[in-house]
Amino acid sequence: MQCNTYGKMAYPKTHNPFADDDEEEPQPRSRVGFDDRQEQGMTEADRKQRYLKQEVMRTANSAVESSQRSLALIYESEKMGTETAEELMRQGEALKRTEKMVDNMDQDLKTSQKHINSIKSVWGGLVSYFKAKPETTKMPEEPVAYQASSKLQNALSHSKEHEDKYQASHPNLRKLDTGGFGATASVDKKSSSQNGYPANEHLRAAHQRLDNNLDEMSLGLSRLKNLGMGLQSEIEDQDASLDNLLGKVDKMDLKINKTNEQLKKL
Amino acid sequence: NYNMDNSGKEKEALALIAEADKKRKCSRGFGILFGGSSRKYEEACDMYVRAGNMFKMAKNWSAAGSAFSQAAQLHLQMDNKLDGAINFLDAGNAFKKVDPQEAINCLTQVIEIYTDMGRFTIAAKHHISIAEIYESELLDVNKAISHYEQAADYYKGEESTSAANKCLLKVATYAAQLEQYQKAIDIYEQIGTYAMDSVLLKYGAKDHFFKAALCHFCVDMLNARLSVQRYEEMFPAFSDARECKLVKKLLDAYEEQDVDGFTNAVKDFDTISRLDQWNTTMLLRIKKQIQDEESDLR
Repeated sequence: MQCNTYGKMAYPKTHNPFADDDEEEPQPRSRVGFDDRQEQGMTEADRKQRYLKQEVMRTANSAVESSQRSLALIYESEKMGTETAEELMRQGEALKRTEKMVDNMDQDLKTSQKHINSIKSVWGGLVSYFKAKPETTKMPEEPVAYQASSKLQNALSHSKEHEDKYQASHPNLRKLDTGGFGATASVDKKSSSQNGYPANEHLRAAHQRLDNNLDEMSLGLSRLKNLGMGLQSEIEDQDASLDNLLGKVDKMDLKINKTNEQLKKL
Repeated sequence: NYNMDNSGKEKEALALIAEADKKRKCSRGFGILFGGSSRKYEEACDMYVRAGNMFKMAKNWSAAGSAFSQAAQLHLQMDNKLDGAINFLDAGNAFKKVDPQEAINCLTQVIEIYTDMGRFTIAAKHHISIAEIYESELLDVNKAISHYEQAADYYKGEESTSAANKCLLKVATYAAQLEQYQKAIDIYEQIGTYAMDSVLLKYGAKDHFFKAALCHFCVDMLNARLSVQRYEEMFPAFSDARECKLVKKLLDAYEEQDVDGFTNAVKDFDTISRLDQWNTTMLLRIKKQIQDEESDLR
């Protein structure tokens, strides 16, 4: 205990709390510039450096792992996005089919109205006979294959332009100087003498992995963005279709009610 | 109290059925002479339907199913095809819960009526229902495949490509499991090619090409290599996909008979994107091929 108190009182100003952990025995640090201090200093500095290297390695590894997790999440989102896109396409087709059927119903209703008119009165029948044939709404000869919105093409080309500019300007997106860490460490004679070199290799590898993952993440994110925009424009189109359909069905409802009443009166 | 209510419903339902049967028999006798027969039939139909609904409330599904079937048959006799189809559908849904085979019979009748009327989209939907029953309850994969194929054909006829593709994908999944690889390959390639041109679907095209490549791989490694090259030419984005890189790694491992390399490549891929059941099965089959060849050489 006495030693500890003595050590505490003698801490130099540049005290590094981490170095304490490595210390096997509490050494008085007040003495500066003496020979044994020099020896201890080497060991101490060395230990400090080793510790820091380990810390750096640990941080780099956890960064790589975190980027792996992010990558996994991005791919999962993409998968869900593609499945959503397929469902949306199917839904879009169903909407188009529904609209066609409602149009058919409309035609049929017009025909039955004509028949009702002819039943109600001979004169009414003659009038409708001479009336021009009701304009058959332009039905496409064959059902048109469903095409998703092509507004996206413009959006895509726009985003591609912006992407390059964005990457150049954004500080985080500029390629990390992987060599930096490794290079300076190898130049530093002090560390390379002992176990510096392998550590640099690992570090460099870790940083490269991190960079690769980040690149993949950025590609994945841009794909996600495009997918999202495509989904958005598709949904907007379908929204418009739905509103259209709703209007048609409401009108249809009125017509059917009118026809029913007419039939009852007959 | 609730239980008593339902058994009360059942009794009511049984009474209704008895009455409906009587009406039917009654009108059959005099039907030809008196025009009122069709009205009697219609009343009988209504009673059958009401009885069916009551059986449903009492959760007596098979009785409900037969009540609806009776109503449907009467409708068909009266040439009310559409009402007949609707009642057969009700019957099928009721039977689904207790007697899958009977449900399929009812649904088949529904399909017949609708195809007769030219309503192929609805017929396709019911083919899918039947296929699902074969998938889950009766476990007859071949029949399920044929129904999915029929549904896909009908959808194609009605220009509903997305719906058709959904059915075809199921066909391919099962075909590959049954080792009918060529069939699966054709479907996956077809859908992949369609998807890669579509604005929205192109993000999923790589999955189809991946599956096609795996099927090729199960048949012959060289085919797999050639097909991967083909896909890359057709669809450049495929080369960037992790799936493509995985297949190439697996092809190399296979050439070198390196089981460990194979396993490691798969594991690496799996840590980022989980492989689904189908993919895993195919990969295991391929791995087994390597192991068999290895042991043959020893």
